[in-house]
Amino acid sequence: MEIEEVFSSKLRVKILKLIYRLGELNVSDIARRIGINFAIANQHLNLLEQEGIVQQRVYGRIRMYRFNQASTKAKAIQDFIEAWEQANKTQTTQLKEKNL
Amino acid sequence: MRFRHSVFKDEAKLDINYIPEHLPHREKEHRLLTEFFNFILNFPEKMTQRVIVTGEIGTGKTALCQRFGANMTIEANKHGVNFRYIHVNCREYRGKLSLILQHAVNVLMPNFPKRGFSAEEILGTLLQNLDEENTHLILALDEFDVLIENEGADAVYNLTRLQEMRSGKPQRLSFIFIMRDLSVTKRLDDSARSTLQRNIIRLEKYGKDQLVDILNERVQLAFEPATIPEDVVSFAADIAQNESGNARFAIELLWRAGKYADAEDQRVVTPDCLRKAVSSIIPTLQKNEIESLNFHEKLFLLAAAEVFKDKEKAYATLMEIEKAYAVACEEFEEQPNSHTMLWKYVQMFSALGILKTEISGTAQRGRSTLIYLPAVSAEELTQTLRASLQRGRK
Repeated sequence: MEIEEVFSSKLRVKILKLIYRLGELNVSDIARRIGINFAIANQHLNLLEQEGIVQQRVYGRIRMYRFNQASTKAKAIQDFIEAWEQANKTQTTQLKEKNL
Repeated sequence: MRFRHSVFKDEAKLDINYIPEHLPHREKEHRLLTEFFNFILNFPEKMTQRVIVTGEIGTGKTALCQRFGANMTIEANKHGVNFRYIHVNCREYRGKLSLILQHAVNVLMPNFPKRGFSAEEILGTLLQNLDEENTHLILALDEFDVLIENEGADAVYNLTRLQEMRSGKPQRLSFIFIMRDLSVTKRLDDSARSTLQRNIIRLEKYGKDQLVDILNERVQLAFEPATIPEDVVSFAADIAQNESGNARFAIELLWRAGKYADAEDQRVVTPDCLRKAVSSIIPTLQKNEIESLNFHEKLFLLAAAEVFKDKEKAYATLMEIEKAYAVACEEFEEQPNSHTMLWKYVQMFSALGILKTEISGTAQRGRSTLIYLPAVSAEELTQTLRASLQRGRK
């Protein structure tokens, strides 16, 4: 899968950001936090799992998703989100200082 | 807001949740606990262990286990062993095994859903997670008696024989069962009891000297230098020893006494601050108790209260109180009673718990009886007695 396909969906990016922030979550929780239905969340997670970016662990009825620690793509995405969030913070601080 | 001087340097060091680096007079028990679980550092997958820690309230059961857990985690890290220590108070979870295990799972996986899983389901999840993360867990179940009362023998039996149901798999889950009273285990059947009671660590009640050591360590951490006189520490230890050697109670007393000192803008915690602290926790003296005393008993108690009000010390001799009693008699135009009678008053007030006595240590020449006012503020007592004596005179 090409990078533009991974990032072409706003919901997929939201899921990746959520997992980046909270670590490990089950499907229902991801769907609830983003405000989408279970089936759509499941569909995106399956795609991300097929790409090796996330991995699931099954505990009885519960499926927990997290970044695949062995995947270099997962590492690259986490680094990218981190850099982006940091840049956002710096920009906000600069704007505040400018307005003062 | 006006800046106030505080006697505290760091009052969090007196908080119930603070676990000190060093636990005075529990070194032997800490070593024993470490011996029981030492295998984790060398072969964590080969065996598990179950230990009971028992003792009265305030004997340091929780602090001992939590300190051990923290130290063991550091050692395991040094040895490159994945190890977790989780401490759960069973009462907090109403003694329900499923909720207790759910808490343990949420420590390991904070976002794991908190739904109504059965104890078996959640135990399965816990063990699976430990397997996946290659981790050995010590689960410390505090107030374990609540779990026994609520879940009965089966749940305990299943917990203690867990590994037998996973034969061939790595061993992951050890337990520390913390309880006040071992007699609760009589409710269990023989097999559960026998697997449970192999390793027992009993914490004896603290004596006065031990309480003094514990308090001195905390005072150094929590209070500004020279704000707590030695006498106050000894006094708090005496009171706590009467409360069955309860160190937690002694520490709480010091904290409250410090709060009273701060509220009154005092630079030092006085014995009267401590008395106020005690009376705020245990209301020991009722107004009608004072009214039921005869005139000379009230005069004697007033004299004692006056001595403690004026003195910065926590203890007084009978001779000191006798002198103050003579002054009180003069003020209320009464003929003083004899020394023998006053000694009887001391014994009576001691039986009522209003005054307490202690034989002086070897530091003083000879051995004399020291009297102290354990639980009532000397200032408040003086006011109440004066009002009562004035009414009596009319």
